Amino acid sequence: MSIDPDGATAINVRDLGVRYSLRLTKKQTVKASVVRRMKRQGETSFWALRGVSFTVKQGESLGIIGPNGAGKSTLLQVLAGIITPSEGFVEVDGHVSSLLTLGVGFDQELSGTDNIRLAGAFMGLDHKLVEEKLPGIVSYADLGDFIDAPLKTYSSGMRARLGFAIATAVEPDILILDEVLSTGDAAFRTKSKERLGELVEEAKAIVLVTHDMGWVTEYCNRAMLIEKGHIVVEGSPEDVVAEHQERSARRREEQLAAGVFAQAKPPPARVTR
Amino acid sequence: MAADDAGRMVPHARASPVDGRRATLPAVTARSEVPTSFRSSSVRPGPLALIRLGVSETLSRRRLIAYLVRADLKKTGADTLLGNVWWVVDPLLQMLVYWLLVGVILNRGASTPDYPLFIFAAILPWKWFESTIKDGAQAVVSQERLIKQIYFPKLVLPLAASMSGIVNFAFGMVPLFALILLVYPERLSAWLLLIPVIAVVQLVFSTGLGILVSAMNVFYRDIGNLSRHLLRFWFYLSPALYGVDQVDKLAGKHEVIGIWFTLNPWTYIFNSYRDVIYYGRAPEWSALAVIAGVSLVILAASIWCFKRVEPTFAKVL
Repeated sequence: MSIDPDGATAINVRDLGVRYSLRLTKKQTVKASVVRRMKRQGETSFWALRGVSFTVKQGESLGIIGPNGAGKSTLLQVLAGIITPSEGFVEVDGHVSSLLTLGVGFDQELSGTDNIRLAGAFMGLDHKLVEEKLPGIVSYADLGDFIDAPLKTYSSGMRARLGFAIATAVEPDILILDEVLSTGDAAFRTKSKERLGELVEEAKAIVLVTHDMGWVTEYCNRAMLIEKGHIVVEGSPEDVVAEHQERSARRREEQLAAGVFAQAKPPPARVTR
Repeated sequence: MAADDAGRMVPHARASPVDGRRATLPAVTARSEVPTSFRSSSVRPGPLALIRLGVSETLSRRRLIAYLVRADLKKTGADTLLGNVWWVVDPLLQMLVYWLLVGVILNRGASTPDYPLFIFAAILPWKWFESTIKDGAQAVVSQERLIKQIYFPKLVLPLAASMSGIVNFAFGMVPLFALILLVYPERLSAWLLLIPVIAVVQLVFSTGLGILVSAMNVFYRDIGNLSRHLLRFWFYLSPALYGVDQVDKLAGKHEVIGIWFTLNPWTYIFNSYRDVIYYGRAPEWSALAVIAGVSLVILAASIWCFKRVEPTFAKVL
Protein backbone atom coordinates (compact mmCIF):
# COMPACT_ATOMS: atom_id res chain seq x y z
CA MET A 1 0.00 0.00 0.00
CA SER A 2 1.16 3.43 -0.74
CA ILE A 3 -0.29 4.97 2.37
CA ASP A 4 2.64 6.08 4.43
CA PRO A 5 4.06 3.41 6.71
CA ASP A 6 3.74 5.30 9.97
CA GLY A 7 -0.03 4.96 9.55
CA ALA A 8 -0.76 8.60 10.14
CA THR A 9 -3.04 8.96 7.13
CA ALA A 10 -6.32 7.12 7.19
CA ILE A 11 -7.84 8.47 4.00
CA ASN A 12 -6.02 10.01 1.09
CA VAL A 13 -8.02 11.51 -1.78
CA ARG A 14 -6.24 13.01 -4.78
CA ASP A 15 -7.81 14.81 -7.76
CA LEU A 16 -10.92 12.73 -7.36
CA GLY A 17 -13.52 13.03 -10.07
CA VAL A 18 -16.74 11.05 -10.41
CA ARG A 19 -18.66 11.25 -13.63
CA TYR A 20 -22.19 10.04 -14.18
CA SER A 21 -23.18 9.11 -17.67
CA LEU A 22 -26.51 10.60 -18.63
CA ARG A 23 -27.08 8.10 -21.39
CA LEU A 24 -27.03 5.19 -19.00
CA THR A 25 -28.89 6.75 -16.15
CA LYS A 26 -31.54 8.84 -17.83
CA LYS A 27 -34.31 6.29 -17.29
CA GLN A 28 -33.41 5.79 -13.69
CA THR A 29 -34.00 8.18 -10.86
CA VAL A 30 -30.38 8.74 -9.98
CA LYS A 31 -30.84 12.12 -8.50
CA ALA A 32 -33.40 14.58 -9.72
CA SER A 33 -31.12 17.54 -9.21
CA VAL A 34 -28.28 15.92 -11.09
CA VAL A 35 -30.50 15.10 -14.03
CA ARG A 36 -31.96 18.60 -14.09
CA ARG A 37 -28.57 20.16 -14.24
CA MET A 38 -27.40 17.79 -16.91
CA LYS A 39 -30.38 18.53 -19.12
CA ARG A 40 -29.83 22.23 -18.86
CA GLN A 41 -26.29 21.85 -20.08
CA GLY A 42 -27.34 19.42 -22.75
CA GLU A 43 -24.40 17.18 -21.97
CA THR A 44 -24.19 13.44 -21.92
CA SER A 45 -22.26 13.25 -18.69
CA PHE A 46 -22.15 15.02 -15.41
CA TRP A 47 -19.32 15.43 -12.95
CA ALA A 48 -20.74 14.83 -9.49
CA LEU A 49 -17.28 15.47 -8.07
CA ARG A 50 -14.24 17.05 -9.68
CA GLY A 51 -10.75 17.87 -8.51
CA VAL A 52 -11.37 16.86 -4.92
CA SER A 53 -8.24 16.34 -2.85
CA PHE A 54 -7.95 15.96 0.90
CA THR A 55 -6.52 13.70 3.56
CA VAL A 56 -7.91 12.50 6.83
CA LYS A 57 -5.33 11.65 9.45
CA GLN A 58 -5.71 9.00 12.09
CA GLY A 59 -7.64 10.38 15.01
CA GLU A 60 -9.26 13.04 12.91
CA SER A 61 -12.94 13.51 12.41
CA LEU A 62 -14.02 15.27 9.25
CA GLY A 63 -17.47 16.74 8.76
CA ILE A 64 -18.69 17.28 5.23
CA ILE A 65 -21.45 19.79 4.66
CA GLY A 66 -23.03 21.37 1.66
CA PRO A 67 -26.35 21.92 -0.08
CA ASN A 68 -28.38 19.06 -1.55
CA GLY A 69 -26.86 17.59 -4.68
CA ALA A 70 -23.42 18.95 -3.91
CA GLY A 71 -21.83 15.50 -4.17
CA LYS A 72 -21.53 14.69 -0.49
CA SER A 73 -23.14 11.30 -0.71
CA THR A 74 -21.21 10.45 -3.85
CA LEU A 75 -18.02 11.26 -1.99
CA LEU A 76 -18.98 8.91 0.84
CA GLN A 77 -19.83 6.20 -1.66
CA VAL A 78 -16.36 6.54 -3.15
CA LEU A 79 -14.76 6.38 0.31
CA ALA A 80 -16.74 3.24 1.07
CA GLY A 81 -15.54 1.64 -2.17
CA ILE A 82 -19.03 1.50 -3.65
CA ILE A 83 -18.25 3.81 -6.54
CA THR A 84 -14.90 3.80 -8.31
CA PRO A 85 -13.42 7.14 -9.32
CA SER A 86 -13.61 8.34 -12.91
CA GLU A 87 -10.32 10.15 -12.37
CA GLY A 88 -7.82 10.47 -9.57
CA PHE A 89 -7.68 8.01 -6.71
CA VAL A 90 -8.74 7.26 -3.19
CA GLU A 91 -6.67 5.38 -0.63
CA VAL A 92 -8.23 4.07 2.53
CA ASP A 93 -6.12 2.48 5.24
CA GLY A 94 -8.19 0.34 7.55
CA HIS A 95 -11.48 -1.46 7.85
CA VAL A 96 -14.22 0.88 6.65
CA SER A 97 -17.73 0.71 7.95
CA SER A 98 -20.17 2.79 6.03
CA LEU A 99 -23.42 3.59 7.73
CA LEU A 100 -24.80 5.09 4.59
CA THR A 101 -28.24 3.70 5.04
CA LEU A 102 -29.55 1.17 7.49
CA GLY A 103 -31.00 -2.14 6.53
CA VAL A 104 -28.18 -3.63 4.53
CA GLY A 105 -28.91 -7.06 3.12
CA PHE A 106 -32.40 -7.22 4.50
CA ASP A 107 -34.49 -10.02 3.14
CA GLN A 108 -38.21 -9.96 3.84
CA GLU A 109 -38.68 -13.72 4.03
CA LEU A 110 -35.84 -14.42 6.41
CA SER A 111 -35.89 -14.23 10.19
CA GLY A 112 -34.09 -11.50 12.10
CA THR A 113 -31.27 -13.86 13.02
CA ASP A 114 -30.80 -15.00 9.44
CA ASN A 115 -30.80 -11.39 8.32
CA ILE A 116 -28.01 -10.61 10.75
CA ARG A 117 -25.96 -13.47 9.31
CA LEU A 118 -26.71 -12.40 5.74
CA ALA A 119 -25.82 -8.79 6.43
CA GLY A 120 -22.58 -9.87 8.09
CA ALA A 121 -21.69 -11.93 5.03
CA PHE A 122 -22.46 -9.02 2.73
CA MET A 123 -20.28 -6.73 4.81
CA GLY A 124 -17.50 -9.29 4.55
CA LEU A 125 -17.35 -9.95 8.27
CA ASP A 126 -15.79 -13.16 9.43
CA HIS A 127 -18.33 -15.88 10.11
CA LYS A 128 -17.01 -16.57 13.61
CA LEU A 129 -17.16 -12.90 14.48
CA VAL A 130 -20.77 -12.67 13.37
CA GLU A 131 -21.74 -15.69 15.47
CA GLU A 132 -19.88 -14.14 18.39
CA LYS A 133 -21.66 -10.82 18.00
CA LEU A 134 -25.05 -12.34 17.29
CA PRO A 135 -26.40 -12.42 20.87
CA GLY A 136 -25.25 -8.85 21.41
CA ILE A 137 -26.95 -7.63 18.25
CA VAL A 138 -30.13 -9.50 19.11
CA SER A 139 -30.35 -8.03 22.59
CA TYR A 140 -29.44 -4.56 21.39
CA ALA A 141 -32.15 -4.60 18.72
CA ASP A 142 -34.55 -5.57 21.50
CA LEU A 143 -37.00 -7.44 19.30
CA GLY A 144 -38.09 -10.13 21.73
CA ASP A 145 -39.58 -13.21 20.07
CA PHE A 146 -39.77 -11.39 16.75
CA ILE A 147 -36.11 -12.17 16.16
CA ASP A 148 -37.14 -15.59 14.82
CA ALA A 149 -40.06 -14.28 12.77
CA PRO A 150 -39.71 -13.29 9.11
CA LEU A 151 -38.73 -9.68 8.59
CA LYS A 152 -41.96 -8.88 6.74
CA THR A 153 -43.81 -9.09 10.06
CA TYR A 154 -41.68 -6.30 11.56
CA SER A 155 -42.80 -2.75 12.12
CA SER A 156 -40.68 -0.03 10.58
CA GLY A 157 -39.30 0.88 14.00
CA MET A 158 -38.23 -2.70 14.62
CA ARG A 159 -36.57 -2.77 11.24
CA ALA A 160 -34.70 0.42 12.00
CA ARG A 161 -33.52 -0.97 15.34
CA LEU A 162 -32.30 -4.20 13.76
CA GLY A 163 -30.60 -2.28 10.96
CA PHE A 164 -28.84 0.01 13.37
CA ALA A 165 -27.78 -2.88 15.60
CA ILE A 166 -26.26 -4.73 12.64
CA ALA A 167 -24.58 -1.70 11.14
CA THR A 168 -22.91 -0.67 14.37
CA ALA A 169 -22.07 -4.13 15.70
CA VAL A 170 -18.46 -4.02 14.60
CA GLU A 171 -16.12 -1.22 15.53
CA PRO A 172 -14.51 -0.03 12.31
CA ASP A 173 -11.15 1.67 11.92
CA ILE A 174 -12.74 4.24 9.68
CA LEU A 175 -16.32 5.22 10.23
CA ILE A 176 -18.34 6.77 7.45
CA LEU A 177 -21.65 8.26 8.51
CA ASP A 178 -24.44 9.71 6.42
CA GLU A 179 -27.39 11.05 8.37
CA VAL A 180 -28.38 7.87 10.11
CA LEU A 181 -29.88 9.21 13.26
CA SER A 182 -33.30 10.04 11.90
CA THR A 183 -34.76 6.58 12.56
CA GLY A 184 -36.70 4.92 15.31
CA ASP A 185 -38.63 6.34 18.22
CA ALA A 186 -37.28 8.84 20.72
CA ALA A 187 -36.05 6.20 23.17
CA PHE A 188 -34.13 4.40 20.46
CA ARG A 189 -32.74 7.64 19.10
CA THR A 190 -31.14 8.35 22.44
CA LYS A 191 -29.80 4.82 22.60
CA SER A 192 -28.46 4.99 19.06
CA LYS A 193 -26.85 8.34 19.64
CA GLU A 194 -25.02 6.85 22.60
CA ARG A 195 -23.78 3.97 20.49
CA LEU A 196 -22.67 6.31 17.73
CA GLY A 197 -20.79 8.29 20.34
CA GLU A 198 -18.97 5.10 21.34
CA LEU A 199 -18.10 4.32 17.74
CA VAL A 200 -16.87 7.84 17.21
CA GLU A 201 -14.61 7.44 20.24
CA GLU A 202 -13.22 4.12 19.07
CA ALA A 203 -12.81 4.81 15.38
CA LYS A 204 -9.41 5.89 14.17
CA ALA A 205 -10.95 8.27 11.68
CA ILE A 206 -14.43 9.52 10.95
CA VAL A 207 -16.05 11.08 7.94
CA LEU A 208 -19.48 12.45 8.61
CA VAL A 209 -22.04 13.90 6.25
CA THR A 210 -24.87 15.72 7.90
CA HIS A 211 -27.23 18.64 7.70
CA ASP A 212 -27.13 18.85 11.46
CA MET A 213 -24.60 21.59 12.12
CA GLY A 214 -24.61 20.69 15.81
CA TRP A 215 -23.05 17.35 14.97
CA VAL A 216 -20.33 18.99 12.95
CA THR A 217 -19.28 21.37 15.69
CA GLU A 218 -19.71 18.76 18.41
CA TYR A 219 -18.01 15.72 16.90
CA CYS A 220 -15.70 16.99 14.18
CA ASN A 221 -12.33 18.63 14.54
CA ARG A 222 -12.28 19.61 10.87
CA ALA A 223 -14.95 20.41 8.34
CA MET A 224 -15.27 20.75 4.61
CA LEU A 225 -17.87 22.57 2.54
CA ILE A 226 -18.72 21.07 -0.84
CA GLU A 227 -20.74 22.79 -3.51
CA LYS A 228 -21.37 21.52 -7.04
CA GLY A 229 -18.76 18.81 -6.71
CA HIS A 230 -15.92 21.06 -5.59
CA ILE A 231 -14.43 21.80 -2.22
CA VAL A 232 -15.31 25.40 -1.38
CA VAL A 233 -13.60 25.74 1.95
CA GLU A 234 -11.90 23.50 4.46
CA GLY A 235 -10.98 24.33 8.01
CA SER A 236 -12.22 24.46 11.56
CA PRO A 237 -15.85 23.33 12.00
CA GLU A 238 -17.01 26.71 13.29
CA ASP A 239 -15.57 28.65 10.35
CA VAL A 240 -16.87 26.25 7.75
CA VAL A 241 -20.34 26.07 9.29
CA ALA A 242 -20.46 29.87 9.41
CA GLU A 243 -19.36 30.08 5.78
CA HIS A 244 -21.96 27.50 4.77
CA GLN A 245 -24.76 29.31 6.55
CA GLU A 246 -23.74 32.61 5.07
CA ARG A 247 -23.61 31.18 1.56
CA SER A 248 -26.92 29.40 1.83
CA ALA A 249 -28.57 32.50 3.20
CA ARG A 250 -27.19 34.44 0.24
CA ARG A 251 -28.43 31.76 -2.16
CA ARG A 252 -31.90 31.91 -0.67
CA GLU A 253 -31.98 35.66 -1.08
CA GLU A 254 -30.84 35.42 -4.67
CA GLN A 255 -33.50 32.84 -5.39
CA LEU A 256 -36.16 34.95 -3.77
CA ALA A 257 -34.96 37.96 -5.69
CA ALA A 258 -35.10 36.00 -8.90
CA GLY A 259 -38.64 34.98 -8.03
CA VAL A 260 -37.80 31.34 -8.12
CA PHE A 261 -39.29 28.98 -5.64
CA ALA A 262 -36.37 27.81 -3.63
CA GLN A 263 -36.29 24.31 -5.05
CA ALA A 264 -32.73 23.51 -4.20
CA LYS A 265 -32.97 25.25 -0.90
CA PRO A 266 -30.46 23.79 1.51
CA PRO A 267 -32.19 22.58 4.61
CA PRO A 268 -31.71 24.93 7.51
CA ALA A 269 -29.34 23.89 10.22
CA ARG A 270 -31.25 21.59 12.50
CA VAL A 271 -31.26 21.98 16.22
CA THR A 272 -29.27 19.27 17.91
CA ARG A 273 -31.42 16.74 19.57
CA MET B 1 3.44 13.50 2.92
CA ALA B 2 1.41 15.30 0.33
CA ALA B 3 4.49 15.82 -1.81
CA ASP B 4 5.30 12.18 -1.41
CA ASP B 5 1.87 11.24 -2.68
CA ALA B 6 2.12 13.58 -5.59
CA GLY B 7 5.54 12.24 -6.41
CA ARG B 8 4.32 8.69 -6.44
CA MET B 9 1.25 9.37 -8.44
CA VAL B 10 2.56 7.99 -11.70
CA PRO B 11 3.51 4.55 -10.40
CA HIS B 12 0.15 4.58 -8.64
CA ALA B 13 -1.58 4.97 -11.94
CA ARG B 14 -0.40 1.53 -12.90
CA ALA B 15 -1.45 -0.05 -9.66
CA SER B 16 -5.13 -0.68 -10.02
CA PRO B 17 -7.77 -0.73 -7.32
CA VAL B 18 -7.63 -4.40 -7.91
CA ASP B 19 -3.97 -4.64 -7.08
CA GLY B 20 -4.56 -2.53 -4.03
CA ARG B 21 -7.19 -4.87 -2.74
CA ARG B 22 -5.19 -7.94 -3.56
CA ALA B 23 -1.98 -6.63 -2.14
CA THR B 24 -3.58 -6.54 1.28
CA LEU B 25 -5.00 -10.05 1.13
CA PRO B 26 -2.46 -11.59 3.50
CA ALA B 27 -3.21 -8.85 6.00
CA VAL B 28 -6.88 -9.78 6.31
CA THR B 29 -7.80 -9.38 9.92
CA ALA B 30 -9.59 -11.90 12.03
CA ARG B 31 -12.78 -9.93 11.83
CA SER B 32 -13.02 -9.66 8.12
CA GLU B 33 -13.09 -12.13 5.27
CA VAL B 34 -12.12 -9.47 2.82
CA PRO B 35 -9.11 -7.17 2.60
CA THR B 36 -9.55 -4.08 4.71
CA SER B 37 -7.48 -1.30 3.25
CA PHE B 38 -7.98 -0.49 -0.37
CA ARG B 39 -7.02 1.84 -3.13
CA SER B 40 -9.57 2.90 -5.66
CA SER B 41 -8.67 4.71 -8.84
CA SER B 42 -9.89 5.25 -12.36
CA VAL B 43 -7.41 2.78 -13.80
CA ARG B 44 -8.97 -0.50 -14.90
CA PRO B 45 -6.90 -3.66 -15.10
CA GLY B 46 -6.66 -5.79 -18.23
CA PRO B 47 -8.96 -8.70 -19.13
CA LEU B 48 -6.87 -11.46 -17.56
CA ALA B 49 -6.38 -9.54 -14.33
CA LEU B 50 -10.12 -8.88 -14.19
CA ILE B 51 -10.98 -12.54 -14.66
CA ARG B 52 -8.45 -13.55 -12.03
CA LEU B 53 -9.86 -10.96 -9.65
CA GLY B 54 -13.40 -12.13 -10.34
CA VAL B 55 -12.49 -15.71 -9.48
CA SER B 56 -10.50 -14.83 -6.37
CA GLU B 57 -13.08 -12.48 -4.88
CA THR B 58 -15.81 -15.03 -5.52
CA LEU B 59 -13.82 -17.71 -3.76
CA SER B 60 -13.23 -15.45 -0.79
CA ARG B 61 -16.98 -14.85 -0.54
CA ARG B 62 -18.03 -18.50 -0.58
CA ARG B 63 -19.97 -18.07 2.61
CA LEU B 64 -21.98 -15.17 1.27
CA ILE B 65 -22.96 -17.26 -1.75
CA ALA B 66 -23.93 -20.10 0.58
CA TYR B 67 -26.12 -17.76 2.64
CA LEU B 68 -27.75 -16.34 -0.47
CA VAL B 69 -28.50 -19.81 -1.76
CA ARG B 70 -29.92 -20.87 1.58
CA ALA B 71 -32.06 -17.74 1.71
CA ASP B 72 -33.33 -18.44 -1.78
CA LEU B 73 -34.17 -22.04 -0.92
CA LYS B 74 -35.95 -21.00 2.26
CA LYS B 75 -38.00 -18.55 0.28
CA THR B 76 -39.08 -20.94 -2.44
CA GLY B 77 -40.37 -23.26 0.24
CA ALA B 78 -41.95 -20.57 2.37
CA ASP B 79 -45.62 -19.66 2.14
CA THR B 80 -46.60 -22.85 0.36
CA LEU B 81 -48.48 -25.72 1.90
CA LEU B 82 -46.22 -28.40 0.51
CA GLY B 83 -43.07 -26.36 1.06
CA ASN B 84 -40.01 -28.01 -0.36
CA VAL B 85 -42.02 -30.93 -1.68
CA TRP B 86 -42.67 -28.66 -4.65
CA TRP B 87 -39.10 -29.11 -5.79
CA VAL B 88 -39.90 -32.77 -6.32
CA VAL B 89 -43.45 -32.39 -7.62
CA ASP B 90 -42.75 -29.47 -9.96
CA PRO B 91 -40.74 -31.27 -12.66
CA LEU B 92 -43.12 -34.24 -12.47
CA LEU B 93 -46.12 -32.02 -13.18
CA GLN B 94 -44.30 -30.34 -16.03
CA MET B 95 -43.46 -33.73 -17.46
CA LEU B 96 -47.12 -34.70 -17.13
CA VAL B 97 -48.22 -31.65 -19.14
CA TYR B 98 -45.83 -32.36 -22.00
CA TRP B 99 -46.63 -36.04 -21.93
CA LEU B 100 -50.37 -35.33 -22.20
CA LEU B 101 -49.90 -32.73 -24.91
CA VAL B 102 -47.23 -34.29 -27.08
CA GLY B 103 -47.46 -37.93 -26.15
CA VAL B 104 -51.22 -38.41 -25.85
CA ILE B 105 -53.09 -35.62 -27.66
CA LEU B 106 -50.71 -35.09 -30.56
CA ASN B 107 -49.84 -38.78 -30.32
CA ARG B 108 -46.20 -38.13 -31.15
CA GLY B 109 -44.83 -40.16 -28.28
CA ALA B 110 -46.02 -43.44 -29.71
CA SER B 111 -42.85 -43.91 -31.72
CA THR B 112 -40.76 -43.33 -28.60
CA PRO B 113 -41.02 -46.03 -25.96
CA ASP B 114 -41.18 -44.84 -22.33
CA TYR B 115 -41.84 -41.31 -23.56
CA PRO B 116 -42.35 -39.83 -20.02
CA LEU B 117 -38.81 -40.77 -19.03
CA PHE B 118 -37.56 -39.63 -22.43
CA ILE B 119 -38.79 -36.08 -21.83
CA PHE B 120 -38.13 -36.09 -18.10
CA ALA B 121 -34.42 -36.54 -18.81
CA ALA B 122 -34.57 -33.20 -20.65
CA ILE B 123 -37.03 -31.30 -18.44
CA LEU B 124 -34.88 -31.64 -15.31
CA PRO B 125 -31.71 -30.00 -16.67
CA TRP B 126 -33.75 -27.43 -18.58
CA LYS B 127 -35.57 -26.27 -15.44
CA TRP B 128 -32.20 -25.69 -13.84
CA PHE B 129 -30.93 -23.75 -16.85
CA GLU B 130 -34.12 -21.73 -17.04
CA SER B 131 -33.96 -20.70 -13.37
CA THR B 132 -30.28 -19.78 -13.66
CA ILE B 133 -31.01 -17.40 -16.53
CA LYS B 134 -34.28 -16.00 -15.14
CA ASP B 135 -32.95 -15.50 -11.61
CA GLY B 136 -29.64 -14.33 -13.02
CA ALA B 137 -31.38 -11.57 -14.96
CA GLN B 138 -32.91 -10.28 -11.72
CA ALA B 139 -29.94 -11.06 -9.49
CA VAL B 140 -28.15 -7.73 -9.76
CA VAL B 141 -31.05 -5.34 -10.34
CA SER B 142 -33.02 -6.71 -7.40
CA GLN B 143 -30.16 -5.85 -5.03
CA GLU B 144 -30.10 -2.23 -6.15
CA ARG B 145 -30.34 -0.83 -2.61
CA LEU B 146 -27.55 -2.98 -1.31
CA ILE B 147 -25.22 -2.21 -4.19
CA LYS B 148 -25.54 1.50 -3.44
CA GLN B 149 -24.89 0.99 0.26
CA ILE B 150 -21.93 -1.31 0.69
CA TYR B 151 -19.07 -2.66 -1.30
CA PHE B 152 -19.14 -6.34 -2.15
CA PRO B 153 -18.23 -8.30 -5.26
CA LYS B 154 -21.39 -8.27 -7.32
CA LEU B 155 -20.40 -11.52 -9.04
CA VAL B 156 -21.76 -13.42 -6.05
CA LEU B 157 -25.31 -12.46 -7.06
CA PRO B 158 -25.61 -14.32 -10.40
CA LEU B 159 -23.46 -17.10 -8.96
CA ALA B 160 -25.88 -17.60 -6.11
CA ALA B 161 -28.71 -17.85 -8.64
CA SER B 162 -26.75 -20.52 -10.47
CA MET B 163 -25.99 -22.41 -7.27
CA SER B 164 -29.58 -22.55 -6.06
CA GLY B 165 -30.35 -24.03 -9.47
CA ILE B 166 -28.02 -26.93 -8.70
CA VAL B 167 -29.78 -27.65 -5.45
CA ASN B 168 -33.10 -27.76 -7.26
CA PHE B 169 -31.55 -30.05 -9.85
CA ALA B 170 -30.24 -32.31 -7.11
CA PHE B 171 -33.72 -32.54 -5.62
CA GLY B 172 -34.96 -33.41 -9.09
CA MET B 173 -32.95 -36.60 -8.82
CA VAL B 174 -35.54 -37.87 -6.35
CA PRO B 175 -38.45 -38.02 -8.82
CA LEU B 176 -36.07 -39.17 -11.55
CA PHE B 177 -34.88 -42.18 -9.62
CA ALA B 178 -38.38 -42.85 -8.34
CA LEU B 179 -39.64 -42.85 -11.92
CA ILE B 180 -36.89 -45.22 -13.06
CA LEU B 181 -37.16 -47.61 -10.12
CA LEU B 182 -40.94 -47.76 -9.95
CA VAL B 183 -42.00 -47.49 -13.59
CA TYR B 184 -39.02 -48.28 -15.78
CA PRO B 185 -36.73 -50.55 -13.73
CA GLU B 186 -35.26 -51.99 -16.93
CA ARG B 187 -33.76 -48.54 -17.66
CA LEU B 188 -31.65 -48.60 -14.50
CA SER B 189 -27.96 -48.62 -15.36
CA ALA B 190 -24.59 -47.66 -13.95
CA TRP B 191 -24.39 -44.87 -16.54
CA LEU B 192 -26.73 -42.85 -14.32
CA LEU B 193 -23.70 -42.20 -12.14
CA LEU B 194 -22.38 -39.96 -14.92
CA ILE B 195 -25.16 -37.40 -14.43
CA PRO B 196 -22.90 -35.22 -12.22
CA VAL B 197 -20.25 -35.08 -14.95
CA ILE B 198 -22.73 -33.71 -17.47
CA ALA B 199 -24.14 -31.43 -14.77
CA VAL B 200 -20.70 -29.87 -14.27
CA VAL B 201 -20.52 -29.02 -17.98
CA GLN B 202 -24.00 -27.54 -17.81
CA LEU B 203 -23.05 -25.62 -14.67
CA VAL B 204 -20.16 -23.90 -16.43
CA PHE B 205 -22.30 -23.16 -19.49
CA SER B 206 -25.31 -21.79 -17.63
CA THR B 207 -23.27 -19.85 -15.08
CA GLY B 208 -21.46 -18.06 -17.88
CA LEU B 209 -24.70 -17.06 -19.55
CA GLY B 210 -26.30 -16.17 -16.21
CA ILE B 211 -23.48 -13.78 -15.36
CA LEU B 212 -23.74 -12.14 -18.77
CA VAL B 213 -27.52 -11.72 -18.54
CA SER B 214 -27.32 -10.33 -15.00
CA ALA B 215 -24.93 -7.58 -16.12
CA MET B 216 -26.82 -6.72 -19.30
CA ASN B 217 -30.11 -6.43 -17.45
CA VAL B 218 -28.68 -3.57 -15.41
CA PHE B 219 -28.38 -1.43 -18.52
CA TYR B 220 -31.26 -2.76 -20.56
CA ARG B 221 -34.15 -3.94 -18.47
CA ASP B 222 -35.73 -5.51 -21.55
CA ILE B 223 -33.20 -8.33 -21.28
CA GLY B 224 -35.24 -9.90 -18.52
CA ASN B 225 -38.41 -9.98 -20.63
CA LEU B 226 -36.58 -10.93 -23.77
CA SER B 227 -34.76 -13.81 -22.13
CA ARG B 228 -38.06 -15.35 -21.03
CA HIS B 229 -39.21 -15.62 -24.63
CA LEU B 230 -35.83 -16.63 -25.95
CA LEU B 231 -35.70 -19.40 -23.39
CA ARG B 232 -39.02 -20.75 -24.59
CA PHE B 233 -37.86 -20.69 -28.22
CA TRP B 234 -34.64 -22.33 -27.22
CA PHE B 235 -36.40 -25.13 -25.38
CA TYR B 236 -38.74 -25.99 -28.23
CA LEU B 237 -35.94 -25.67 -30.77
CA SER B 238 -33.77 -28.14 -28.88
CA PRO B 239 -34.25 -31.89 -28.87
CA ALA B 240 -36.07 -31.97 -25.53
CA LEU B 241 -39.54 -33.20 -26.45
CA TYR B 242 -38.31 -35.01 -29.54
CA GLY B 243 -35.20 -36.94 -30.43
CA VAL B 244 -32.37 -36.24 -32.82
CA ASP B 245 -33.94 -38.66 -35.32
CA GLN B 246 -36.74 -36.13 -35.86
CA VAL B 247 -34.16 -33.42 -36.36
CA ASP B 248 -32.28 -35.47 -38.92
CA LYS B 249 -35.48 -35.98 -40.92
CA LEU B 250 -36.17 -32.23 -41.02
CA ALA B 251 -32.56 -31.29 -41.59
CA GLY B 252 -32.62 -33.26 -44.82
CA LYS B 253 -35.28 -30.89 -46.14
CA HIS B 254 -34.10 -27.60 -44.64
CA GLU B 255 -30.42 -26.96 -44.31
CA VAL B 256 -30.94 -24.15 -41.78
CA ILE B 257 -32.46 -26.55 -39.30
CA GLY B 258 -29.47 -28.82 -39.56
CA ILE B 259 -27.08 -25.92 -38.94
CA TRP B 260 -29.04 -24.68 -35.94
CA PHE B 261 -29.14 -28.05 -34.24
CA THR B 262 -25.46 -28.60 -34.96
CA LEU B 263 -24.51 -25.29 -33.34
CA ASN B 264 -27.02 -25.48 -30.48
CA PRO B 265 -25.17 -26.54 -27.30
CA TRP B 266 -28.39 -27.90 -25.90
CA THR B 267 -28.51 -30.54 -28.63
CA TYR B 268 -25.43 -32.08 -27.10
CA ILE B 269 -26.32 -31.47 -23.47
CA PHE B 270 -29.78 -33.02 -23.89
CA ASN B 271 -28.30 -35.91 -25.83
CA SER B 272 -25.74 -36.56 -23.13
CA TYR B 273 -28.33 -36.60 -20.36
CA ARG B 274 -30.56 -38.81 -22.45
CA ASP B 275 -27.72 -41.21 -23.19
CA VAL B 276 -27.00 -41.88 -19.55
CA ILE B 277 -30.58 -41.66 -18.22
CA TYR B 278 -32.76 -43.09 -20.99
CA TYR B 279 -30.56 -45.17 -23.25
CA GLY B 280 -28.22 -46.36 -20.53
CA ARG B 281 -25.12 -45.83 -22.64
CA ALA B 282 -22.00 -43.69 -22.70
CA PRO B 283 -22.49 -40.08 -23.74
CA GLU B 284 -20.72 -38.73 -26.79
CA TRP B 285 -17.53 -37.75 -25.05
CA SER B 286 -16.07 -35.67 -27.86
CA ALA B 287 -19.21 -33.52 -28.15
CA LEU B 288 -19.32 -33.08 -24.38
CA ALA B 289 -15.67 -32.06 -24.33
CA VAL B 290 -16.28 -29.43 -27.01
CA ILE B 291 -19.25 -28.05 -25.09
CA ALA B 292 -17.14 -27.97 -21.92
CA GLY B 293 -14.43 -26.02 -23.74
CA VAL B 294 -16.86 -23.55 -25.28
CA SER B 295 -18.57 -23.11 -21.92
CA LEU B 296 -15.29 -22.28 -20.21
CA VAL B 297 -14.59 -19.62 -22.83
CA ILE B 298 -18.10 -18.21 -22.38
CA LEU B 299 -17.65 -18.19 -18.60
CA ALA B 300 -14.31 -16.39 -18.79
CA ALA B 301 -15.68 -13.86 -21.26
CA SER B 302 -18.74 -13.28 -19.08
CA ILE B 303 -16.67 -12.71 -15.96
CA TRP B 304 -14.57 -10.24 -17.91
CA CYS B 305 -17.63 -8.36 -19.22
CA PHE B 306 -19.20 -8.37 -15.78
CA LYS B 307 -16.09 -7.03 -14.08
CA ARG B 308 -15.71 -4.39 -16.77
CA VAL B 309 -19.14 -2.89 -16.14
CA GLU B 310 -19.34 -3.68 -12.41
CA PRO B 311 -17.98 -0.26 -11.30
CA THR B 312 -20.88 1.49 -13.00
CA PHE B 313 -23.60 -0.60 -11.32
CA ALA B 314 -23.87 1.69 -8.31
CA LYS B 315 -24.28 4.68 -10.62
CA VAL B 316 -26.68 3.21 -13.14
CA LEU B 317 -29.03 1.35 -10.81
